[in-house]
Amino acid sequence: MLELTGITKTFPGVNALDRVDFEAQSGEIHALLGENGAGKSTLIKVLAGAYIPDEGTIRYDGIERHWASPRAAKDAGIYVIYQELVLFPELSVAENIFLGRAPKTRFGAIDYGKMHSSASEVLNRLGHNLDPRTLVHRLSLADQQMVEIAKSLVDDTKLLVLDEPTALISGRETELLFECINNMRMSGVCIIYISHRLEEIFELADRVTVLKDGQKVDTRPVSELNRELLISLMVGRELDDIYPEKTLPPKEPAPVLSVRDLKAPPTVKNVSFDLHAGEIVGMAGLVGAGRSDMAHAIFGSLPRIDGAVTLSGETFNTPTPRMAINRGLGFLTEDRKGQGLLMLLDMASNVSAPVLREFTNAFGIDRQFEIQAAKDEIERFRIAIPSATSDVVHLSGGNQQKILFARWSRACHRVLILDEPTRGVDVGAKVEIYEIIKKLADEGVGILVISSELPEIIGLCTRVLVMREGLISGEVTGSQISETTIMRLATTSVAA
Amino acid sequence: MSSQTIEFFTHSYLKRFALPLSMIALAVLATILQPAFLAPKNLQDIFTQAAPLGIVVLGQAFVVLVRGLDLSVASLMATVAVIATAFNATSNAAIPVIFAVAIGFSALVGFTNGILVTKRNVSPFLATLAMMIVLQGLRFYYTQGAPAGSLPDGFRFLGTGRIGGIPVGLIGFLCLFTLLGWLLHKSEFGRKVYITGGNPISATLCGINSDRIIILCYVICSVMSGIAGLFLVGFVGTVDNWVGRGYELDSIVAVVIGGIALSGGVGTIWGAALGALILVLLFNIVIILGLPVQAQLIIKGVIIIFAAAMFVRVQKV
Repeated sequence: MLELTGITKTFPGVNALDRVDFEAQSGEIHALLGENGAGKSTLIKVLAGAYIPDEGTIRYDGIERHWASPRAAKDAGIYVIYQELVLFPELSVAENIFLGRAPKTRFGAIDYGKMHSSASEVLNRLGHNLDPRTLVHRLSLADQQMVEIAKSLVDDTKLLVLDEPTALISGRETELLFECINNMRMSGVCIIYISHRLEEIFELADRVTVLKDGQKVDTRPVSELNRELLISLMVGRELDDIYPEKTLPPKEPAPVLSVRDLKAPPTVKNVSFDLHAGEIVGMAGLVGAGRSDMAHAIFGSLPRIDGAVTLSGETFNTPTPRMAINRGLGFLTEDRKGQGLLMLLDMASNVSAPVLREFTNAFGIDRQFEIQAAKDEIERFRIAIPSATSDVVHLSGGNQQKILFARWSRACHRVLILDEPTRGVDVGAKVEIYEIIKKLADEGVGILVISSELPEIIGLCTRVLVMREGLISGEVTGSQISETTIMRLATTSVAA
Repeated sequence: MSSQTIEFFTHSYLKRFALPLSMIALAVLATILQPAFLAPKNLQDIFTQAAPLGIVVLGQAFVVLVRGLDLSVASLMATVAVIATAFNATSNAAIPVIFAVAIGFSALVGFTNGILVTKRNVSPFLATLAMMIVLQGLRFYYTQGAPAGSLPDGFRFLGTGRIGGIPVGLIGFLCLFTLLGWLLHKSEFGRKVYITGGNPISATLCGINSDRIIILCYVICSVMSGIAGLFLVGFVGTVDNWVGRGYELDSIVAVVIGGIALSGGVGTIWGAALGALILVLLFNIVIILGLPVQAQLIIKGVIIIFAAAMFVRVQKV
């Protein structure tokens, strides 16, 4: 049905896919597994015509294909349902299903009667009863997903790709979805299923392909696998010596940061943990586990409904970022460009932003002082930038990240929360950033590293908290820290 | 257009001096077309005319820098003019009281605009449009369409007087220009304006209360409009319901000419002032050439298109 051979796709600085072979058959549910960044989405985009591969061939339905556009792949019967649904909330179910191909009356108007009955018929085939006249924004997320799948049926889909379809739904809704997917398999559709939840793989899939770092690890029938085997396929890799040596800080009795019963629905359900001065603690978990929102809730940039955050013995209940900063808590967000750097301002202004008051005297901002401070930071972090008054837009990701480290380490001396600190930076800069993190910890800053790159967490941290579905699902320390232990905590259902 | 060429336009000397150069070019053009342009009387007219607009533009610049827009400025000017004459004062001693009431009222208007935009998430366009209409209604309700009332003689000095041959309006503008220039480019508040306008999310995460910064920008804009209204009513001498008519669009055009990005975070106080001056120069050229006044509108429109097209190009960097 589908056969990808030797697919290679390179982005500047990243080898997203490296000679990947992949094959799937009609009437099969084929699971695609891998850590974040393993190349799953890139592979999907290649087979759906959104990316053109640098090398390799795509054979689909017995013919070699060179998709000119996603549209061409769609016309050939390949339908992808991405994580973010692309429905029109203000249109009805039927209008969404028949968008752009509504049945017409003799006079060219839309034949609503026919459209509604056809929509009902398609939904029935899925074993799902929905009033086709309902506006989509009134539907639950699971029902919206059904509408997406119904759209694919109208298209006469032969190959359906589902990217983490259960990320937003649960329980009974999941069962409905599985039933519907099984019905489609029965009618001979080839289904490629991406999910982080291993339980689902064992429940649904016929075969599994595991990707890692852009390469295929293996393809196996599910019947030959168990949980442990699957996890080891996903993680099996050694650590390089790019990480600084781990040292345990002298343990002070009182934690510098203490979080109790933090709740910020819907993503953060209940989080408690302690962080000591000089400690580097990792926060692992899958994308969507609520780690970034948890950080925002601690920092005060996301409202929390309950919970206490204590910083150096002082508890603050109605937090704002200003309060957090003044008490020495800094937060380096994952979105460097959107939530971090001030692209329209120079480097010095980027560094001083959270603590402008320190640079202000009776006459206003002391520009000389500000520039001198920035120069010190350039030296301290070895930032490759022409001068303290240069723009930050054109710098490399690593240097931009170093500027944010300069900003936050200068402003906040007690705790730094680092969300994906090495995202989008090259390996050389990564090593430098690890050294910076280690140095800051040695200076006594308590550091919480949120990262989706397990090797990074394992290489850096002396203690790892694992988050799953808004809860801390476990903690591993010392020699127990390994990809297997972390992945097990990250993927095991807490309720189960 | 390659990114390097774009960079040339945004960062080079050409860009830095584009405004003063085009202003000089306009002045030269005007002198060639009509030597009377350089007559002291005409120059004084230009500055007298430019002063109130310039003051409004300084305020408008603050609002635009935080990604906003204030359409209520002209309506506020006229309303302040009505308030000033409503005192029917004859003694110059009343002038400080008139100023205080007018500025207090303006600040309240700006505060309301700011609250609507930040706390209620109303788009700046709608919030200030509504404010424009409400102020107009209040004014007409009070004056019953026929404004009356008078001003103390001292008020005329604001609009027509001179100190050492320099129009008082121009002096007023220069004082405000210096004050707001310091505020925007030297003070902590000014830096926060740029941070908020450039990236509101980063601003919040840097502990900046961006709502407060935005509200203050609207207050500054309204207070500037109120002051401009007082100068203008002093210039005209009598009040009518339409003092400052057209200034809402003129001030936005001047801001755009002055290189202040409507998307926020980019631009200087110099740009705002030069934008106002260039616009007034263009109007003056229309008049000294004896062209119909309607030509001003055409010129205004063409300038907006030109400035917007340039602006979009720069944004693509």
